[in-house]
Amino acid sequence: MNNYFVFDSLNIIFLAVLILVTTGVVIYQGKRNWKYNLMFFLFFISMVGAILSNHLGLTWVFVEATTLTSAYLIYQNKTEYSLEATWKYVFLCSIGISLAFVGIILLLIGSNVVNSLFYNNLYANATIIEPFWLKLSYAFILVGFGTKVGLAPVHFWLPDAHAEAPSPISAMLSATLLNSAFIVILRYTRLMDLAGLFNYARILLLTMGFLSVFITAVYVFKIGNYKRMLAYSSIENMGIIAIGIASGGVGVFAAIFHLIAHSLIKSSFFLTAGNILHIFKTKEVLKVQGLIETDPKTGWLWACCGLFILGAPPSPIFFSKFLIIKQLFIDKHLVLAGLFLFLITVVAYGILRVVVKMSFSPKITNKRIKMSIRNYLPQISLLLLVLVLGFYIPNWLYHLIEEAIKCI
Amino acid sequence: MAQINMLRVQGLLLCLITLTYHQEQELMMLLFLLLETFMVKTLLVPAFLNKVALKNNIKIDSDPRFPHFYTLAISSFILLGGLLVSNIHSEHLKNVSTLYFGIAISTIIISFFFITTKKKLITHVIGFAMLENGIFLLSFSVAKEMPMIVSVGVLLDVFIAIFALGLLIGQFENHYHNPEVCHLCNLKDCDCDE
Repeated sequence: MNNYFVFDSLNIIFLAVLILVTTGVVIYQGKRNWKYNLMFFLFFISMVGAILSNHLGLTWVFVEATTLTSAYLIYQNKTEYSLEATWKYVFLCSIGISLAFVGIILLLIGSNVVNSLFYNNLYANATIIEPFWLKLSYAFILVGFGTKVGLAPVHFWLPDAHAEAPSPISAMLSATLLNSAFIVILRYTRLMDLAGLFNYARILLLTMGFLSVFITAVYVFKIGNYKRMLAYSSIENMGIIAIGIASGGVGVFAAIFHLIAHSLIKSSFFLTAGNILHIFKTKEVLKVQGLIETDPKTGWLWACCGLFILGAPPSPIFFSKFLIIKQLFIDKHLVLAGLFLFLITVVAYGILRVVVKMSFSPKITNKRIKMSIRNYLPQISLLLLVLVLGFYIPNWLYHLIEEAIKCI
Repeated sequence: MAQINMLRVQGLLLCLITLTYHQEQELMMLLFLLLETFMVKTLLVPAFLNKVALKNNIKIDSDPRFPHFYTLAISSFILLGGLLVSNIHSEHLKNVSTLYFGIAISTIIISFFFITTKKKLITHVIGFAMLENGIFLLSFSVAKEMPMIVSVGVLLDVFIAIFALGLLIGQFENHYHNPEVCHLCNLKDCDCDE
């Protein structure tokens, strides 16, 4: 008898990140109306369900539920822009998730004898699943759940939804929702590995990973909206995690470490973007100047988040990117390593340019808007945690990540 | 709208297939599938979409990107192609009903064709419902049961997704008075204020 929900080393990490980020967001957003609170709670519960689920079909149900519960939250501002973003989000994600369901059915066709979608049963019988159907199924699963993760070329909903949602919700989308869908891809990649088809999975993951980083590198110079810039950064980071998983070896450790760090930093980044929006009443990069002079705490938080997300030492992201490049070199993928280095440098330059300009340019307004301590505390706490991780990984966390790698 | 009537017919056909095909089904599962196909796919979803169309004064997709005749001809070719492919490869499709498999794959492809060539947002929702019908038939062709908890979850998710999209069409109507895909081009990588 299988349990529909289980705890293991992999999902415990995802759950811990989810709880940490949600706590920060709840503190930041303060009191809201009951409808908002209800939908936020359902959104949280559906992510918990997706992370803890031990059954592929049930995971699908929860991942689709995250789309439906968060749609209301994205449409909070009730503008034409937020309406367009919400439509694209619900429609594209539902289509993507439907394709993932096709992938599940194709898996059932290939697993004549198994007749179960519990991960442990699938893993135990991986070798008797017909490779043709498993490969086809993986492609559908990757495109389907990849839509939700925001991997290129099926990322189109992500910049719009992240930019138009209220900032606390953008933080939740970027730091927790994408992870909840990524865990399915990780578990399915393990099935591919056990079936002896890791090379096939690796090619697809590398393709989507590099495409995601490439898309960000192309668009990062065109973006005039700072929340949209953060959204593209999420696409880049999901791509980096996919590349890490595909690299294998120490790259997998780096990918998990990167996922933790990205969630903590990006949630702080989006919450700080909420402060900027509150002060300047605009999302245009050109209209935000002298942030540090206008509000020093927000300004420094913005600059620190920018440096940390790009991987400036001692950010944990520096180490994860370094380890991924190292693994690519070890495997003698010199071209890929070079391309990876080039693309992340381009993205880093594009984002740093905007962050520096917004933070350190002379101020253009004398307005002073008083903000509560709860508008700073979550970001400061999360960044301090990131800083600690940059200098020191506790033994228990190191072992937990190592155990988690065994689940991939 | 003719497309909504088409959904009704699809739902009814799925209901009949459930009745004829699943004779060895557990009673509870059979009742659930009948409820899903008849109540939800044949009655509820088309009735809801009809209500959305009437409330927002939406008529037939009069200016599609592709003329209706070509849509019909191409859809017929896709259906024929699906049936041919599934029959040619029938020896690889063990424990799979090749007829249903072929129709299901064709329906999924046709729904994507439908979504990409029509202009009105409600037609996209109809395309999505058609896609879900295709996936239902595909899962039927495999003849492997999902646990009841998963089946109920899938049904709820799909229904709520259609419901949410229907409500959003109402919001589009409030903003634009004519919900079409051209209203989905405002958000680009350019400057914009909240």
